[in-house]
Amino acid sequence: MLITLEQLTKRFGATVAVDGLDLRVRPGRVTGFLGPNGAGKSTTLRMILGLDRPTSGRALLDGRPYFSYAWPLRTIGAVLEAKAAHPGRTGRNHLLAMARSNAIPAARVDEVLQLTGLTEAARKRTGAYSLGMGQRLGIAGALLGDPEVLILDEPVNGLDPDGVRWIRGLLRDLAAEGRTVLVSSHLLSEMQMTADHLIVIGNGRLLADAPLEEILAGHASLEDAYYTLTEGSALR
Amino acid sequence: MTMLRATIGAEWIKLWTTRTVWWALTAALLLMAAGAGQYALYARNGDIDATSAAEVAALGLSFAQLAFVALAATVMTGEYSAGTIRATFTWTPSRPRLLLAKSVVVAAVTLVAGTVVGFVGTLVAAAILDDGSLGATAPKMGLYLALLGVFAVGLGAALRGPVVTLVVLLMLIVVVPPLLQIPDVGALNAVADAMPGVAGERFLTGNSYAGLLIVTAWAVAAFVIGARELNRRDA
Repeated sequence: MLITLEQLTKRFGATVAVDGLDLRVRPGRVTGFLGPNGAGKSTTLRMILGLDRPTSGRALLDGRPYFSYAWPLRTIGAVLEAKAAHPGRTGRNHLLAMARSNAIPAARVDEVLQLTGLTEAARKRTGAYSLGMGQRLGIAGALLGDPEVLILDEPVNGLDPDGVRWIRGLLRDLAAEGRTVLVSSHLLSEMQMTADHLIVIGNGRLLADAPLEEILAGHASLEDAYYTLTEGSALR
Repeated sequence: MTMLRATIGAEWIKLWTTRTVWWALTAALLLMAAGAGQYALYARNGDIDATSAAEVAALGLSFAQLAFVALAATVMTGEYSAGTIRATFTWTPSRPRLLLAKSVVVAAVTLVAGTVVGFVGTLVAAAILDDGSLGATAPKMGLYLALLGVFAVGLGAALRGPVVTLVVLLMLIVVVPPLLQIPDVGALNAVADAMPGVAGERFLTGNSYAGLLIVTAWAVAAFVIGARELNRRDA
């Protein structure tokens, strides 16, 4: 499934957060989404998911906006914030409500709990979860509908080395199955190990959209390449 | 329709899987028993001119309704204070459908729980007043609380903040009406009569269908404004 941004623009008052982004995110590979803080990454992801309305332009999933999907969780899985669950609700109940909202069988809840290693913590309130467990719960929710598209905003934040490695493997596997995986991150070395393709933005504008090797070419590391690309856009 | 049913099902699970609902319903029951008991004592001493147990219970509701209203408002404002609203909108991108589902869940719970609480209040009042006629006020209390619940959910969607929503609700239901009524000026009294709490009390104690209509109008207006605000603003 193809994610298409067409002249996607978002203004907050006088500030332009996202400025005419035109790009395609293709299936079958992990696409890394990079940029300094305030570059417009999260705003872009929120517009893809219909949470923020574009000032102009469009964000489409296989030609259709997010809100036109009757059961969106069965097509698009997203991890937006580390803790998307109410702190007083158990992880399992959170996922059960989520499953019900998209007519996903309750049995799938136990599957994703197992898949994310949360089976033992499933009956604990999410307020007692560590940051890493919160991330795992978010990923469990994203996988609930067995979606073709996965959108993850900073999924490795707060994870221990085992967790980081687990996510890397998971994202690579999901892409290998032909799914579309779009993942934003600040951790460049991690991106270098996970992504096949990179999209770099700064000040809401597209700076690069190319395979990892192409961006790395002539640089010692992704970090070097990144600083060359984003020079001048880190501070406004 | 299947989509609405799924959204209602999810909201139903969400309502019953935090402690808020139990605190609120327990508080409602205690406030009702205490309120009805207190007014029944006043009535027995001739301090107020309520005579039947049902009428006294309706007066007792003026405290208990606040617990219901707080619960209803939290169903919407809690999404903003806990930061879960974005996740919720990714599950259910249609914001009016989400608001409708929340309203249905709140209305169903307050209708049933409100009727039970109303009946308990009537029993307490009847025991103190030695009045055997229980009347049919309890289901009417449930109906009034269900409408008030929809009003609170819609207002929560429009205002988002838990504190501001609760303050506005308290102002409209409890604080402002007596301030308007004290000078006893016709025009001010008419405004007070149009407030949801006063209109509800007229429906409960005076059987006024105009009162019921006014409470319904508040619920519908809050729902429409809430849905519009959810659609208009970014999550």
